[in-house]
Amino acid sequence: MSKIIATRAIRGAHKLVVRAEKELSRAIDEKGPETRVEFPNTGYFLPISHGILGLNIETLGGLEGLLEEAKKLLPPVPDEKLWVPYLGHTLDAGMATLFADEIIESIRYTENPLPYLPEPNPDEEHLWIGAANDVIMRERGIEFVDGTAPGFAACVGYCPTNEIAVKIARELQEKNLYVFMSASTDGKSMAQQLREEGIQMGWETRLVPFGDDVTATVHSLGFATRVALSFGGAQPGDFQRVLRYNKNRVFAFVLALGPVDDEKHAQAAGAINYGFPTIADTDIDQILPTGICTYEHVVSPVPHDKIVSKAIEVRGLKITITKVPIPVPYGPAFQGERIRKEDMYVELAGQEQPGFEFLTTREMDEVEDGKIELVGPEIEEVDEGGQIPLGIWVEVAGREMQTDFEPILERYIHDFINCANGVFHMGQRDINWVRISKEAKQKGFRFEHFGTILHAKLHGEFGKIVDKVQIRIYTREKEVLGLIGIAREVYKQRDARLADMTDEAVETFYSCTLCQSFAPNHVCIITPERSGLCGAYNWLDGKAAFQINPTGPNQPVKKGRVIDKEKGQWQDINDFVYNNSHKTLEIFNAYSIIEYPMTSCGCFECISGVLPSTNGIMIVYRDYTGMTPSGMKFSTLAGSVGGGMQTPGFIGHSKHYIGSKKFISAEGGVKRIVWMNKALKEELAPILDEIGKREGIEDFIDRIADETIAITEEDVWEYITRKNHPALSMPPLF
Amino acid sequence: MKTIAISGKGGTGKSTLSALIIRWLKENETQPILAVDADSNVNLNDLLGVKITETIGAIREEMKKSAHHLPAGTTKQAFLEYKIHASLVETPAFDLIAMGRPEGPGCYCYANNMLRDILNTLSSNYQYVVIDNEAGMEHLSRRTTQNIDYLLIISDPSVRGIHAAGKISRLISELDTRVGKKLLILNRVKQDLPAALNEIIEKEGLNLFSSIPEDDTLLEMDQSGKPIWHISDKSPAYQAIHRLMTKLIGE
Repeated sequence: MSKIIATRAIRGAHKLVVRAEKELSRAIDEKGPETRVEFPNTGYFLPISHGILGLNIETLGGLEGLLEEAKKLLPPVPDEKLWVPYLGHTLDAGMATLFADEIIESIRYTENPLPYLPEPNPDEEHLWIGAANDVIMRERGIEFVDGTAPGFAACVGYCPTNEIAVKIARELQEKNLYVFMSASTDGKSMAQQLREEGIQMGWETRLVPFGDDVTATVHSLGFATRVALSFGGAQPGDFQRVLRYNKNRVFAFVLALGPVDDEKHAQAAGAINYGFPTIADTDIDQILPTGICTYEHVVSPVPHDKIVSKAIEVRGLKITITKVPIPVPYGPAFQGERIRKEDMYVELAGQEQPGFEFLTTREMDEVEDGKIELVGPEIEEVDEGGQIPLGIWVEVAGREMQTDFEPILERYIHDFINCANGVFHMGQRDINWVRISKEAKQKGFRFEHFGTILHAKLHGEFGKIVDKVQIRIYTREKEVLGLIGIAREVYKQRDARLADMTDEAVETFYSCTLCQSFAPNHVCIITPERSGLCGAYNWLDGKAAFQINPTGPNQPVKKGRVIDKEKGQWQDINDFVYNNSHKTLEIFNAYSIIEYPMTSCGCFECISGVLPSTNGIMIVYRDYTGMTPSGMKFSTLAGSVGGGMQTPGFIGHSKHYIGSKKFISAEGGVKRIVWMNKALKEELAPILDEIGKREGIEDFIDRIADETIAITEEDVWEYITRKNHPALSMPPLF
Repeated sequence: MKTIAISGKGGTGKSTLSALIIRWLKENETQPILAVDADSNVNLNDLLGVKITETIGAIREEMKKSAHHLPAGTTKQAFLEYKIHASLVETPAFDLIAMGRPEGPGCYCYANNMLRDILNTLSSNYQYVVIDNEAGMEHLSRRTTQNIDYLLIISDPSVRGIHAAGKISRLISELDTRVGKKLLILNRVKQDLPAALNEIIEKEGLNLFSSIPEDDTLLEMDQSGKPIWHISDKSPAYQAIHRLMTKLIGE
């Protein structure tokens, strides 16, 4: 971190401690050490010293102990020539600052007349209301805990104009945040600016003017400390718990408005102890690496129209929308609803009109959260029974967002829109289809509400990864056709990425026990590189099916510890298969035909079997009714391979699996194929050709026998010997 | 939602009676109605006077064939759901879905499992679901159709017909499908039933619920290619359906 900012904060702390010392000795001289000091109506003494140090200070004399603690923490002002890591020093300086603040503010409460109005709201004569009493703290603090108010913004200083001050205050209020104001600069403060504009302030309106001294900022952190003590179960003196509670539960930050002097830098350092970052509108030194705060510690300079959203982002505050604000009922109960043609007002996309839906990631500053635009006609401009195009373009940004999540979030567009009563949604990507009922239209449902739904639900369900969402809805052919091409390009790239996905790249496979109704001991394990043996189910399908029906026959199975990388054996997979095969299968290898191969229900597309004398295997597709070199037809083979039995030397599998790099890779893979029924060989010719090239085998397909060449093992051996088949030079299978 | 399934041996007039029942529901009951043509020969649509564009069977085959290259990475569930909804024939009174050809060789567990979910969700949108089953009850045995409130077993008034109806009744009992009431309907009845036939009905454990008379109107409409849907409500067959349905719904 920067030496400059550390120097400024530490220098500020020194100044404040010196000031506290002076004011304290003067107060003791004037009033005597036994004079009571307290904040109004609180059981938490002076909250910072009580919460952090466990002190119960009640007199001016007692403040001397706190002053000693502050002095102990004060680090030396950084040497001009010597560079050391400054974060620890800065944090100590920040804490010393808060102690000094508390000394100065508590002395203020011994003055007569009291400089603060001890009421929940300011009146005409008194702007500053000082520390909150316990009644206010309990009433308001609970909102931080139950989520009604996510936190507060401690606004220090003033804005360039009154108008900007009002705008920032309003924006913070809209996010349900409390606005704590303190510290005038050159006699100006945000609270005064709001007053000049006739804005009502006080705890009621969540705009709280604490005090015009920079030291009054401590009332924000004092409030936060009391919340941790009162609701967080922290014991006085358990500073770790107080600070951690605030970091995790109270979403607060400091807005440094206008010039930032050393003392304000020191306050920012104090706030960092609580995990509260500082966002400044002026150009001050930044502290960008993460550490104490969730993300950055000090960010500047941020323009006024972005400062609130930037603060929310830096603090990692998640805005949640519990109710979807649309004029029709919303909930999963409406998901299976079909809007019949009779009841339909308008149809979008579907069979008659083009359509797509697309979700993409953007940079944080490229997304304006909650922005919804409609390009094209709105519902009332469309005639009843109309059919129009639809493009849904969603842009999200988030600190934790990854492009890999895009298709997953995108698929949820279907679920989210379908939950609206009177709205029917089908499909995904560029085959989507929406109907809106006459009733929903009458209740006021409009196209822009697609955006409202998606904004609310993406925040609600994916708040962990999504910080900002903006949506554009297109209902005009020109734009829809223009953008569909861009979307399709991305769909293609995603599919390519999925096709390239390896078993090693994922932590979770999916089980399939759909066929247990007739093969009770069979469990399919579907991996990215080995689809279900019936050929119908791939890894993504398993994943999607689990999302649709979490208690269904497709369950996620963690791989767990790798037992054998080559054969494809994992501890947790073994355990799962054992428990779900009614304890009949103890060991399972995903990539081997010889050792503990995967079982089959009987639904397999293909059967592979070892032809021992050829050192290779044969594959027969289920449509082939003729004889195979194993001496058995498909139907006979199926009887011995199916039913959930492990038959070493034989496996049932999908056609697709033959093209996988993991196809019996434990035994050397595709190069082992010495016989296939002709139809299958022809169908897979392009794949086999590619594999042959990859392995450096010329005319690989030609070296594989089929029923027109051989139907006995002996003949196969003769043929492949003549063709110099690669299996012959491979290690023996047994 | 109430589900009425109509079954019986081939040629007993299942589809005709299904069409008449749908017409009756349209005239007398809360709509909408979902008509399901579960006969692989697909002709209910002709009787109802509408055109079918695609059958579920064809969609399922398409999905299975293209298992690894569906439109750009769409999941199969989403694809199937979309296609099924798109295949619905929509009219003001009813929507029609045609099951089409039963499956070929290979494994259909996965496809049928999804199909059942989708069809169950779809049918919950309707007040009445009327299923015209084929003789072999293929879709019932594959459990692609959901539970049934009324199973109407149709037979002509012949000994062989009654035996076949008895077989269907016993087959249903062996299936997992939950059936509320199994009722025997005799179709094309010309005169009073001989006592012997009544005895056989009893022996087969069947419950004769209603009889539909032979009606030349139906024959004439068939011959001139007019959909049964437009039948006069004065015609004897429709009158008999009226009595049957009043009794059924009234119970």
